[in-house]
Amino acid sequence: MVGLTPRVDYLAGFCCPLGGLAAGKPRMLCLGAEIFLSTGSELVYVYDRERGLLTAVYKFPGQVWHLELLALRRALYVLCARRGIYCLSLDQASRSVSQDDGDDKDDGDDGDSEDSQDGEPPSSVIPVDPDACVLPDATLCTFTVLDDVLITLAQGPTQWKMQLFKCPCPGEDPRPRGQIGEVELSTCIPPAGSPREPTAPHFLPVLCCVSPQGSRVLHSHLRGSGGFTLEETLFGLLFGADASLLESPVILCGLPDGHLCCVVLKTLVTSRLAPGDPKALVKILHHLEEPVVFIGALRTELLAEDVEESHSDCLVALGHHGRTLVMKASWDEAGNLVPVLREYCLPGPVLCAACGRGSCMYHSTPSDLCVVDLAWRGTPWDPTQPDGSPGGLPSLLCPTTLNVCSVVTLSVSPRAPEGGAELLALSAKGRLMTCRLDLNSETPCPTRVTAANTGQKIKEFLSGIFTVSERVSSLKKAVDQRNKALTCLNEAMNVSCALLSTEEGPRPISCTTTTSWSRLQLQDMLTATCLLENSSDFSLDQGWALCVQVLTSSRASELDLASSAVTYTIPVDRLGPGSRWEVTLPLGPGEDGVLDLPVTVSCTLFYSLREVVGGALIPSDSFNDPSLDEHSLDVLPEQEGICLPLSKHTVDMLQCLRFPSLATPHMQAPGPLSPASDPVDTFLGACLGPGSELAGPASLQAKYLPPSVAAIKMSVELLRATLGDSHSGVSLCCATLQWLLAENAAVDILRARALSSVQGVAPDGTDVHLIVREVVVTDLCLAGPIQAMEIQVESSSLANMCRAHHAVIGRMQAPPHTLRIREPAS
Amino acid sequence: MSHETPLGSSAPHASCLDLWRERNDQLVRQAKVAQGLSLRRQQLAQDALEGLRELLHCLQGLPAAVPVLPLELIVICNFITLRASLAQGFTEDQAHDIQQGLERVLETQEQLEPRLERGLSGLWDSVLHSSSLLPELLPALHHLAALQAALWLSTDHLGDLTLLLQTLNGSQSGTSEDLLLLLKTWNLPAEESDAPLTLQDARDLRDVLLTASAYRQGLQELITGRLSRALSSLQEAASGLCPQPVLVQVYTALGTCLRKMGSPQKALLYLVSALKGGSTWGPPLLEASRLYRQLGNTAAELESLELLVEALSIPHSSEAPQLLIEVELLLPPPDPALPFHSGTQSQAKYLLASRCLQTGRAEDAAEHYLDLLALLLDGSEPKFSPPPCPPGPCMPEMFLEAAAALIQAGRAQDALTVCEELLSRMSSLLPKMPQLWGDARKGTKESPHCPPWVSATYLLQGHAWVQLGAQKEAISEFSRCLELLFRATHKDKEQGPASNCDQGCTSDVALQQLRAAALISRGLGWVASGQDTKALQDFLLSVQMCPGNQDASFHLLQTLRRLDRRDEATALWWRLEAQTKLPQENATWSLPLYLETCLSWIRPHDHETLLEEFQTSLLEPRDL
Repeated sequence: MVGLTPRVDYLAGFCCPLGGLAAGKPRMLCLGAEIFLSTGSELVYVYDRERGLLTAVYKFPGQVWHLELLALRRALYVLCARRGIYCLSLDQASRSVSQDDGDDKDDGDDGDSEDSQDGEPPSSVIPVDPDACVLPDATLCTFTVLDDVLITLAQGPTQWKMQLFKCPCPGEDPRPRGQIGEVELSTCIPPAGSPREPTAPHFLPVLCCVSPQGSRVLHSHLRGSGGFTLEETLFGLLFGADASLLESPVILCGLPDGHLCCVVLKTLVTSRLAPGDPKALVKILHHLEEPVVFIGALRTELLAEDVEESHSDCLVALGHHGRTLVMKASWDEAGNLVPVLREYCLPGPVLCAACGRGSCMYHSTPSDLCVVDLAWRGTPWDPTQPDGSPGGLPSLLCPTTLNVCSVVTLSVSPRAPEGGAELLALSAKGRLMTCRLDLNSETPCPTRVTAANTGQKIKEFLSGIFTVSERVSSLKKAVDQRNKALTCLNEAMNVSCALLSTEEGPRPISCTTTTSWSRLQLQDMLTATCLLENSSDFSLDQGWALCVQVLTSSRASELDLASSAVTYTIPVDRLGPGSRWEVTLPLGPGEDGVLDLPVTVSCTLFYSLREVVGGALIPSDSFNDPSLDEHSLDVLPEQEGICLPLSKHTVDMLQCLRFPSLATPHMQAPGPLSPASDPVDTFLGACLGPGSELAGPASLQAKYLPPSVAAIKMSVELLRATLGDSHSGVSLCCATLQWLLAENAAVDILRARALSSVQGVAPDGTDVHLIVREVVVTDLCLAGPIQAMEIQVESSSLANMCRAHHAVIGRMQAPPHTLRIREPAS
Repeated sequence: MSHETPLGSSAPHASCLDLWRERNDQLVRQAKVAQGLSLRRQQLAQDALEGLRELLHCLQGLPAAVPVLPLELIVICNFITLRASLAQGFTEDQAHDIQQGLERVLETQEQLEPRLERGLSGLWDSVLHSSSLLPELLPALHHLAALQAALWLSTDHLGDLTLLLQTLNGSQSGTSEDLLLLLKTWNLPAEESDAPLTLQDARDLRDVLLTASAYRQGLQELITGRLSRALSSLQEAASGLCPQPVLVQVYTALGTCLRKMGSPQKALLYLVSALKGGSTWGPPLLEASRLYRQLGNTAAELESLELLVEALSIPHSSEAPQLLIEVELLLPPPDPALPFHSGTQSQAKYLLASRCLQTGRAEDAAEHYLDLLALLLDGSEPKFSPPPCPPGPCMPEMFLEAAAALIQAGRAQDALTVCEELLSRMSSLLPKMPQLWGDARKGTKESPHCPPWVSATYLLQGHAWVQLGAQKEAISEFSRCLELLFRATHKDKEQGPASNCDQGCTSDVALQQLRAAALISRGLGWVASGQDTKALQDFLLSVQMCPGNQDASFHLLQTLRRLDRRDEATALWWRLEAQTKLPQENATWSLPLYLETCLSWIRPHDHETLLEEFQTSLLEPRDL
């Protein structure tokens, strides 16, 4: 079967929305030469293969979600989204063509192989009479028809509800003749949001009607509408003795949440007076853990020569991501009959699928149409064979590609060629085509080219070119996207290597953090400015982000560290080699006027894999089914990415002090406004004179309590060594003060005035006094007195005194190479 | 305010308020016309609902204002009423609509503190306790409260409901916890004559609430066994405004209650009035059959069951639901466990047939079983009927009961047909006979498991042959049965999903009894063909298998006597004597009906005489 090359013929093209048809809603059915087709819009097309033209186009009041044919009665049942089920009589309706005013929706053209727009005049659109609605129900999601029973699945607020109705016939009293039964699939919770809401569900449930072999229901019309006849053994094993004895059809139901359940139809006669117990009526066969998109049946074992009619001996259910469940009857070691349920994985996402009469299942993904053969070619069940695969199921499914891409709905044509199969397919671009497969083909011997078949050959070639070009364009798009993603990843790897390999010296990408006070919205705010400098040879492109984590000290001791820290993530928008980029963030004080110092600002570069690789993981084709994106992206966790720490900066009291006493007219140092103070208060405070400039509650304390004082002594020798040459020209006291306040914005004024003591204001408005003087320490060392520098911290607020003290200690403990006095800004 | 009115230019000089009111009235009239089942009318009702939704959007698009608020609340009430009655139930959406209405009221009260977390009951509390609540809002608010009460009643939030009613009733009756009393004393403010039209009057709604809660309460008390309180609640419900089908249910419940209280005559009176009242005869007839059964009046019991079958064969006509909140809407979802569900026709037929078999009317039972099978299996026209709902027997057991009834009625040939039909229908699921694959397996592995009902089928077939006088065939069927039975070991009890009914239907006790029955049956077969030693073996085995089964011991005793093995017989006799003097404690097994019937065939006729006779014969030689 390797290298199947189907013969593809285009029959017609149908209008499709920009970006192609979405999978899930289009439907196609065959009846003789007629093809009934809905593309997910409001239209239902009837195409005649023999005449090669559209015979009718019906327009419904809403999106068409499902079609079923009842061949015996020549009736077409149509589920219209949020309206209900309509019934059209095929004989009568196709003749009564009422002339509609050329609706622009009519795009079905009648060319038999090409998109010839100027073939025959487009057939007119027949609006469907509202009276044709046989079952108005806005919550219906899907349905199926069996003989004269209509089986519907409706989405309730919390449950799926299966209902049975006497099937109304066209032409009769259109009112449904009454409900026969109803059961809620209670264990299966439908997705939130009722279908009344404008968003249509991504996945519709799937219904499939299965009859036992001996059932007297005619098989011919079961076949037409997605029903199957199943061998008695598998039927009995799966659905129980009762269903077998009653010879009752069973409704299989695949739900979007992955449940696969079954209801024995003959047991589902309930009413208000005899309510059905879901536990007794509904049996869950399996949970596929992904939306069920298809249920079908196959004949996997070869038939004996004398058996005429074949019944399926194997049930198949397909999930959206390709998970496949195969159910078959088998014998266990003890010789008991058991049902075997086996899961396989096929390439997904599955757009649609179909089962033929034999052992082949066809399924379509955005990039390919595959055929899977489940035929069991070994000996029929033999319990003696110990290594026989259970149930005669292959251990692995090998899909064979047919080289047709993006088919959104499939149907196996009843007129199959001898030994082969014919598929009808609708592509995402709205093209209806047939694929003829020769399943048991040897190498085709070259046929003599005659004049008669030259035309045919050319047609085939053209069709082939169409298929190939459609496929090529989709594959090319995917390859481009992958290339782009790879380039991005490569760049990211380079950046990471450059950053991680430099341990000493300046890093190629650096981030420096400085703090300053600025006035935002009448409130003074301490802001941190992070300067990202790219001195590497690579550029930071899409996908990179700068993460700045601000961790306040009071929370640092607490356990819920992660929640108290604030992280800002700012996407870097292309930072080329040699360029800089600045980000300014507020640090506080917050609304309560408190700024818990010290604050730690950590900068990290983050590279989001999701953003870059995510695009390439989605099949590039424009299946505007949003669920596709969601699901394939689930592979990557939200936080997945590369994290490169750049810098960590601690903002302490010394950096936050403000010195209003030093303010000079030409300097724009912001005045000491108490946080969040009213401008009027400020004004009044200013009027009261310099003595009462502290307007906060701390002022009282400042007045009546002695200020807290702390002093730190440090050896002059050590200090000299630390300060190095930079203090030349100024006294050591001034140099020490400058060193302490090196990261404060006011350091330049200090330097200019050569101060050795300074009165500053803490963020909360209390004053902090720093005094540096030379002292002699006598009682410390036996060798004699030591020259030392005393740094005295004085504040009316104990907390601020402590913070300042902590900051000074921090300066002293810092490693020597960081103790560099910043060069005066020139 | 340039607002686009939904009515366009029909009333150019009217104010917006009048226009909206007119629109409301028009939609209500439209909905009232639309009562009925026909499609056009349903569409009309749906359109009215959409119209109300639009109108509500118009009204709620503007800031809440006191003059418009009564109309807005009434529109909300109409919308909820129509929506709930169209959907035949309340959902979260209705709660949301009510909440929105209450928030709009609070908006005008300028009390917009965040009260998101307080929920609906908190909102009601704030609205009703609000000091500045205007009197003109009261009628609409009470109407909305009635809908809230209906919502909470249908979702079983009785605590919230009681609190709301206490608040509505004012402080004077705040102490009462009784829901019914609260509903009765609820004084709805009179509506003004020029108020906007409503789909359903608030007073109507209160009456519906009263009936529904009385019925619910009555049912609850009936289930929990507080019968006298149940009786008074149900009587309250029956005296209220009640649509016919609900009245039938209430009367039936009253019948049940009175039957349990031991006043069957009064119960009968209620059942008769239930039958007179409505077109749903199922529940009262079923209840009547239970009543007669309790009274021991088998003829009447079976007659009411027959009537029940007939009543259920009439297709249930579904009436058009009214576009109002009705009592049915507020009742709990039908619970199969409650005794007021008459089930389907086949369920009733099964009940009738099995009762006939149990009460010894074998001919009738056989006929009814055959009818039932025909009803269930008739595939020519797909007439769907379920087997009796669990915990009733599964389909194969129903076949077996039918066969047992036929044998009991002396129609052995028919019984054979039924058994063969069962086996042929299930042939694909039956394990192949050992000779098919026995050679290949060399007997090393265990034999396939077989559902117990297959063995039981062979047992019944054997008895049918016994009745036809063909001992040879009978013995071979019994042997087949035994072969299958002794293969079934405990560990392969969990089979596939197909056999879920087998496990439920056949307990260990039943399996044991089935084995004993098969052994005794074959033993009797041997006795009939004069092979006493073989019979002895079977009887011995059955006594070992089932020591509690006295029938086996009696048969063994008789055989031992016939074979003249006195010592063993004497020992057995002593044991039997001791056993019969003990109280019979394990007589309460619930065996499948077919097995009970079958056991009755192999029971020795007169234990006492046998024992006495044996005693005398036993003691004779000692006297010598």
